[in-house]
Amino acid sequence: MPETATISTIPAEALEALRRIVGESSVLSAHEQVLVYECDGFVIEKNTPDCVVFPETTEHVVAIVKLCNEYKIPFVPRGAGTSLAGGCLPVGGGVMIALTRMRGIHDVNLRDHYAVVGPGTVNVHLTQHLKGTGFHYAPDPSSQGACTIGGNVATNSGGPHTLKYGVTVNHVLGAEVVLPDGEVVQFGGYTEDNPGFDLTGLFVGSEGTFGVCTKVIVRLTRDPVAYRTMLGVFETVEDATQAISGIIGAGIVPAALELMDQGIIEAVEPAFHFGFPLDAGAVLLIEVDGLEVAVDGEAEQIVALCEQNNAREVRKADSPQQRDLLWKCRKKAFGAIGRLSPSYCTQDGVVPRTKLPEILKFITEASARHDIRIVNVFHAGDGNIHPILLFDERDAEQIKRVLLASDEILNRCIELGGSVTGEHGIGVEKINFMNKLFTEADLETMESVRLAFNPTGLCSPQKMLPTAGACGMEHIEKSHPARRAAL
Amino acid sequence: MTTTESSDEFTPATTDEARDFLAENAAGAGRAIFPVGGRTALHYGYASTQPGIAFSTLRLNRTIDYPARDMTITVEAGIRMDELTEILKAEGQRLPIDVPQSSRATLGGVLATNTSGPRRFGFGTLRDYLIGISSIDATGKTFSAGGRVVKNVAGYDLCKLMIGSLGTLAVITQATLKVIPQPEASRILWCAAADWQAVETALENLLTSATRPVALEVLNANAAHEIAAEARLDLPADGPVLCIGFEGATRETEWETETMTAELQTAGIRDVAVVADAEPLWFALTDFATSSDEPLTFQANLRPSRLVEFAELATSAGVSLAAHAGNGIVIGHLPDTVTTLDAAVKILSPLQTLAHEADGNLVIFDCDETWKQTIPVFGQSRQDRALMQRIKQQLDPRDILNPGRVFTKNAVSAAQ
Ligand SMILES: Cc1cc2nc3c(=O)[nH]c(=O)nc-3n(C[C@H](O)[C@H](O)[C@H](O)COP(=O)(O)OP(=O)(O)OC[C@H]3O[C@@H](n4cnc5c(N)ncnc54)[C@H](O)[C@@H]3O)c2cc1C
Ligand SMILES: Cc1cc2nc3c(=O)[nH]c(=O)nc-3n(C[C@H](O)[C@H](O)[C@H](O)COP(=O)(O)OP(=O)(O)OC[C@H]3O[C@@H](n4cnc5c(N)ncnc54)[C@H](O)[C@@H]3O)c2cc1C
Repeated sequence: MPETATISTIPAEALEALRRIVGESSVLSAHEQVLVYECDGFVIEKNTPDCVVFPETTEHVVAIVKLCNEYKIPFVPRGAGTSLAGGCLPVGGGVMIALTRMRGIHDVNLRDHYAVVGPGTVNVHLTQHLKGTGFHYAPDPSSQGACTIGGNVATNSGGPHTLKYGVTVNHVLGAEVVLPDGEVVQFGGYTEDNPGFDLTGLFVGSEGTFGVCTKVIVRLTRDPVAYRTMLGVFETVEDATQAISGIIGAGIVPAALELMDQGIIEAVEPAFHFGFPLDAGAVLLIEVDGLEVAVDGEAEQIVALCEQNNAREVRKADSPQQRDLLWKCRKKAFGAIGRLSPSYCTQDGVVPRTKLPEILKFITEASARHDIRIVNVFHAGDGNIHPILLFDERDAEQIKRVLLASDEILNRCIELGGSVTGEHGIGVEKINFMNKLFTEADLETMESVRLAFNPTGLCSPQKMLPTAGACGMEHIEKSHPARRAAL
Repeated sequence: MTTTESSDEFTPATTDEARDFLAENAAGAGRAIFPVGGRTALHYGYASTQPGIAFSTLRLNRTIDYPARDMTITVEAGIRMDELTEILKAEGQRLPIDVPQSSRATLGGVLATNTSGPRRFGFGTLRDYLIGISSIDATGKTFSAGGRVVKNVAGYDLCKLMIGSLGTLAVITQATLKVIPQPEASRILWCAAADWQAVETALENLLTSATRPVALEVLNANAAHEIAAEARLDLPADGPVLCIGFEGATRETEWETETMTAELQTAGIRDVAVVADAEPLWFALTDFATSSDEPLTFQANLRPSRLVEFAELATSAGVSLAAHAGNGIVIGHLPDTVTTLDAAVKILSPLQTLAHEADGNLVIFDCDETWKQTIPVFGQSRQDRALMQRIKQQLDPRDILNPGRVFTKNAVSAAQ
């Protein structure tokens, strides 16, 4: 993989100063140490940071950010590094601020239904911490066992339960943020409707370009009283997607509505032995939750709608163990893909729900056209698709075809009235789709908002906006070394 | 000079016309622009510091696209809320945002003021429903953000920025909303509490209720009287009142009202009544914010756990008060007897202090213009105010849109 030319190398005295701030052992700068941080879950592009620092307090972050400003060194926040869009790729090198040690659950207040957590808190740890209280933290990305809440805030993560409960932004009351100039501000707070602009809402999803989040106040949600979890088995993907339209069209909003196609079943079944029929075209994992008196009625309606759409059968999870196993299959589906292929690229696109059959047909055609195997597991209820393109990383020719097929699929999403990302973000991966989704004026406005936060462009340079930073358009090429190598 | 006194007014019929007008204004005279919709909330904020032109969105009221099966709708911002409700109702859908004076209020105004009501407890606020927006900035530049799909994280979420921006950043011309199905049934339980301690106990118990209310309103006796009268219902109201709303399948809401009635059999709660026709009561609860001629109306936001303490203090000062108790939002009207600034300040000061202690704030909706020289309309200044001003500066460098309305240069805010 070719290296990007680094814009900055850190002066020795700055490195010394960083060591004084966080302590000797909390700064990594040797090449073999920083190599681990050359990419995140998006492995197609790589660049090493000059150093990685591990702050433990907000004061540490402030001091690091001020130092970077003093020496004009770019810096990038990083959580668990599970981003699938290259969000924490250190374009231009510089200082990587790794927040994994700021993982305290500082406060849980059930009466006012919030919790205050450090940005490095692993998503699932909060849920585990809340077990037995009758409350939970609703956003549950499939990566929740690893990803951090700070990273979720930065990317506005979703998950299988988004359909009913919403994405991260719907559950964030406030955030403490170290702005790119080192000033600490509090957006939102412990209460709702604070006067002024909704900077919390604006910050969520800003992908690390508006500053470093050092504390998050999240909203807690009551646990549902009852669930009914079902598995609809369909001969074809087409039938499954028609059933989805039928369910949503009937005014039912399930807690989750996830599709797995035959390719994914082939990977998941040998891994977890749920008993998925290997010859089915697709299965739908459907969960309704709510009051005990309501869930059976909804479940019956769903079964009927699946049957109307040619379901071969609809199974109900008849024990908590079966439900857990079903969810495990869904959430660990990505992990199981290793059985199918040495490397894979998870795409993330969105279409209006009613356009699902069309986009899935297109994916099948693209797969054939480019001779790249594509399997599907996705948040069908939201129209959020995740085609997974299987390839061998050592074969440059295959990578080229993977990129072409991805581009075609995403372009088709735009044509169908959708977007090129439902939850993974733009990062560096999708930066050149931005001017297909938005006009120049749209991007200028976004840029001007970014300038209010990040006037020097030192914080997460060259991410998200094609006009980003002070560098103009030329960086698109610069930040796509792999793409250039492949094409 | 206030916006409503402005003699000059422009009402574009198309967004192109709107854009050209703003671009020409920016290039030439650079007069102040006051975006207006239904004009139901123009008194909110400080009076404009400059004369200018009212920019009415009332003719920008078309439905652009309504793919009902995708449960999204794209409409122009000048559409009246009642009309939007009717369009959605025809497809069995709704936007679950309670808007006072919905026959006059426009979607643009509702977005610009971040309007909400009782049902926000169950359904959230506009930021949970707005998925795409188009606006024209002070220089005449049209920009959009978001899109038409329910899940999308491409680019900065300028939808969130525009909600509650009070027309100071851009004129909203179009919005795409996520909508939800109409519920089969809608019910409200009304009950009287012996005292405020009983209210607090009931609210704490509600945290573990087997039911899932969509609204949790606390009214003091004054407000309860007004609301019951407005809804033409004969309901008990000689002390604090709890008003609990349920929506969903008929079977579900029946079970919930029964269960809640049983759960409410705690000390100090009595006269639990299921309101036969909930609709007029929903309206009265929603309109409470705007339904009075009282000298001053405020909204406080607090930690929900501090609400009863606040309500007790406000009640003892004669304030008529209704609260979205689950969200810690309190709306209060000062009594008629308050005719002077001094009298108003005397009541408000301790309430402001308590709101700040409860990590919130107290904002003035409406009062005599001259009082705003003394009472800070937007409450205690927040730490992120400088950043907000930088954003305003970026989007409206010449301060053309609603100048002084939020970022006023007068004595009060300078002191903030
Ligand atoms: C197997 C797998 C499944 C996944 N499933 C989902 C899913 O269901 N839904 C979903 O939305 N995503 C999913 N993702 C993507 C990813 O997990 C999310 O984007 C997640 O939110 C990233 O969190 P992180 O802590 O790993 O952040 P990182 O990858 O470390 O960083 C992501 C971005 O956030 C910024 N950032 C991180 N921390 C901070 C901070 N404290 N302050 C400011 N900026 C910060 C970084 O600069 C970067 O731009 C999945 C990824 C994998 C590998
Ligand atoms: C804090 C608050 C106070 C309220 N106080 C009252 C009250 O005292 N009396 C009452 O009747 N109702 C009040 N309401 C409720 C009122 O019904 C709603 O705010 C309503 O949504 C306003 O809609 P409108 O079309 O009448 O807006 P208008 O009153 O015309 O405008 C309200 C604000 O929104 C801006 N605006 C309007 N349209 C646009 C647009 N398209 N783009 C950008 N900015 C726009 C205006 O510049 C102005 O700042 C209040 C609401 C809130 C949130």
